[in-house]
Amino acid sequence: MTNLKILFTVVATLAVFTFVANVIPQVQSAVPREIVLSADMPPEELAAIGEEIYAGAGGCTACHGLGTRAPDLLGVVGGVCATRVPGQSCKDYLWESLVNPTAYIVEGFDPIMIDQSIVSSQAELWTLVAFLQSQGGEITVNADDFAAALAADAAAASAPPPPVVTDPNQVDAVALITAQGCLACHALGGEGGMVAPPFEELRGQDPAFVREGIVDPMATINEEYSTFAGTMPTIFGDLMSPVELDVLVDFFVGGSGAGAEGGEAPGDAAEVPPDSAGGSR
Amino acid sequence: MKRWMTRGVVTRGVLLAALALAVALPLLAQVPGPDYGEFNFLGLDRRGAVWIAAQLHLLFAAFVLGVPMFAVVIEAIGMFGGDEKYDKLAKEFTRLLLVAYSATAIWGAILVFFLSTLYPRFWAYLTAIFAPSMWVYAGLFFLESFTLYLYYYGWDAWKKGAAKKVHWCLGIMLNIWGTIVMFIANGWLTYMMSPPEGLTADTAPQTVQLWSAINNATWMPINIHRLLANVVFGGAIVGAYAAYRFLTSRTDEERAHYDWMGYTGNLIAIGALIVLPFAGYWLGREIYEFSQQMGITMMGGFMSWLWIIQAFLIGILFLAGNYYLWIGMGRIPGAERFQPYIKWMLLVLVLGVIVWATPNTMIADRDEIAAMGGIRHPFLQVLGVMSAKNTAVNLMILTTFLSFLMYRRANKDPVVQWARAGTVLQGAAFALCAVVVVFYGVYGYFVTAIVRIGFSVYQVLAVLATILFVIGIDMAMLRGAKSRGEIRWGRMPDRSQYALLILAVTFTWLMGLMGFARSGIRQHWHVYEVIRDTSEQAFTPALGPAATIISICVLIFFALVGFIFWLGGLAERSVYREAEANVKAGQEGRAALGDPMPAPSLGDVD
Repeated sequence: MTNLKILFTVVATLAVFTFVANVIPQVQSAVPREIVLSADMPPEELAAIGEEIYAGAGGCTACHGLGTRAPDLLGVVGGVCATRVPGQSCKDYLWESLVNPTAYIVEGFDPIMIDQSIVSSQAELWTLVAFLQSQGGEITVNADDFAAALAADAAAASAPPPPVVTDPNQVDAVALITAQGCLACHALGGEGGMVAPPFEELRGQDPAFVREGIVDPMATINEEYSTFAGTMPTIFGDLMSPVELDVLVDFFVGGSGAGAEGGEAPGDAAEVPPDSAGGSR
Repeated sequence: MKRWMTRGVVTRGVLLAALALAVALPLLAQVPGPDYGEFNFLGLDRRGAVWIAAQLHLLFAAFVLGVPMFAVVIEAIGMFGGDEKYDKLAKEFTRLLLVAYSATAIWGAILVFFLSTLYPRFWAYLTAIFAPSMWVYAGLFFLESFTLYLYYYGWDAWKKGAAKKVHWCLGIMLNIWGTIVMFIANGWLTYMMSPPEGLTADTAPQTVQLWSAINNATWMPINIHRLLANVVFGGAIVGAYAAYRFLTSRTDEERAHYDWMGYTGNLIAIGALIVLPFAGYWLGREIYEFSQQMGITMMGGFMSWLWIIQAFLIGILFLAGNYYLWIGMGRIPGAERFQPYIKWMLLVLVLGVIVWATPNTMIADRDEIAAMGGIRHPFLQVLGVMSAKNTAVNLMILTTFLSFLMYRRANKDPVVQWARAGTVLQGAAFALCAVVVVFYGVYGYFVTAIVRIGFSVYQVLAVLATILFVIGIDMAMLRGAKSRGEIRWGRMPDRSQYALLILAVTFTWLMGLMGFARSGIRQHWHVYEVIRDTSEQAFTPALGPAATIISICVLIFFALVGFIFWLGGLAERSVYREAEANVKAGQEGRAALGDPMPAPSLGDVD
């Protein structure tokens, strides 16, 4: 009898632990796959790649599906996209929602989404459209759309880079923040996202530390926002010139923010338009 | 005959492991072939097979490394203090080692077979870098095993004078060999976590410097963490053994002995557990310094909920450990005066567990988030951050120490003149420490994260300093103290022993969970960001499936350990029965001769 009691104690303890570990949210770490895109891909394959981008590099799930930040699209959006704007096809509606997110804001949500063409190629955007169409609807993204996107991406890759800004007086820090879509996640003057530290927290910080945070967002993670770590793209070092970066860093740490019109230090920039950072649908 | 058989099992286990190494290393390092071997047994895939073999090998290894540490310490206490019961206890610990040692070797051999047949390419890669250290490992394994034989079988032969000191030195040697063996194996696994800078998938393994591969960023933190964890684990398993023997005892003498043994094992386990988090902090910091990405994966990524489970488990450890001490006070004359405080200590512990297990962010649907008023709960978000959690855990450690102090002082009345002042000073130290811990906990809400992380060091140092200061005063104050009565060893309710069993199971499961965390943060890499896992099991499972595997491992481990306990019981029981028979025979003989000498008690037997 004693041996049975001992056995029961061991098994019951293990059962409780196993039960508790199984009832908490289950998150599995998937293996990232190298994505190779070609014009002859069937729609289902496009959608499968789009799903990977949606759940992975695209960072879409940082907002969509969580509730307050953006609507849950899974299983729904493909069925309603064609009815959102009279005369606009599902495919076009989804495309515009990605590249011009402020065009339509779903009621109850804030305009916090950034233009996805900043972080994704056109071909990747079409895979996202295909995936979203597959959520309750029919995939109409075709080979022509995709071939054109690939050609556009190739042309963009071979195009001469935009002129590099070398004069700090030509840079307006607040405008730059808005243009780069930073307010999708960070707040400035009380406006903007809440998934990353407000820019006011950078005031007085070491400029080198702030610069590193922009160029290599994973270098130092704010503990309070660690759940969203990895959401910030690592492209800003390439998107901005060194001078633009200098002006931005100067602005964040409490300097003038340079610029022809002068900038405002964090905390004084309450007049940043609330919808300037993009929207969410 | 029995001893010969035991020795044979051990030897065969060791030989098996060595043979596996000897066969696998040269062959597999050379021959090209598939990256992965096929395995499917009752739904278990190759990763599951390696996982279970590695986990069981590690659990037994932790046991055979942890137990000798305090066997040696307890032997020294007996040797230098002149109390033979400590010597007997140390010998009984060591007896458990013999079978556990062969189990370690057998699971090690199975692990090597699995690795070399199921992951041949990767195993060849590892052997190309680490082969020399593997041979040293095998050699030390032999040294360790033969030192163990000498240590155990020489126990009675070298019992007195200088020979006893030589015997004790053998125990120290046993620990040294075991520690080096563990450090070497840690070099292999930490290389997979934190390889030296500059390596790529194209780097030929033969060109990797052995020492730089071993002495990687997380090697020493893991070494220290495992060293301490082994002490905790060894103490917990000895506690479980004592509980098992206590519950199946048939005499008061046995019950008294195993009650004392269980108390000692638990004391060591909880004592070492208190310092374990500091080694954990160091390891965590080194992981972050090696790779922010890896650190985030561990603490804020898909594994973030693992720490909630860990908090739940450690909460059980604290509660069960304290519960055992509180019940134990029932067998100590004079402990009644501390009873009123227990409910308050329980309150602190329960609140501490609740705070520690509060999630920082939760996955919730839109309605739930709307009901909370944001992605963070308005109240729970205050408790879910590190400021609150560090405060909670430090107060729990302090409370546990207070329980121990009450237990220690229960049947003693200090006789030194400054006893009252000393007690006031101890109380003041506790109060001051609590104020420091709470102050930095609250202040942490008003500073940036990088400053806040530093506060945890102040909190930890305050607790450690208090523990050392208070125990120092206590030792001086209780010198020559008046006794209120002897501890009534053996007079413990059975439920206290089940608490010891739960402690051992929880410690073991926690080791499995932390092993999953350590290994899982590599994600889809065999060697982090160098050698990619291209098998179909490259994904890292969610906590639920991982917990199921961990539970299977723990169940197998306890089934085998139960068998070892039963064997230990057979040996020990025969000693008790022999002594019982001798006592009876002696009594009958003396009665026949009219001898007035008192009969020997069972406590006099070994």
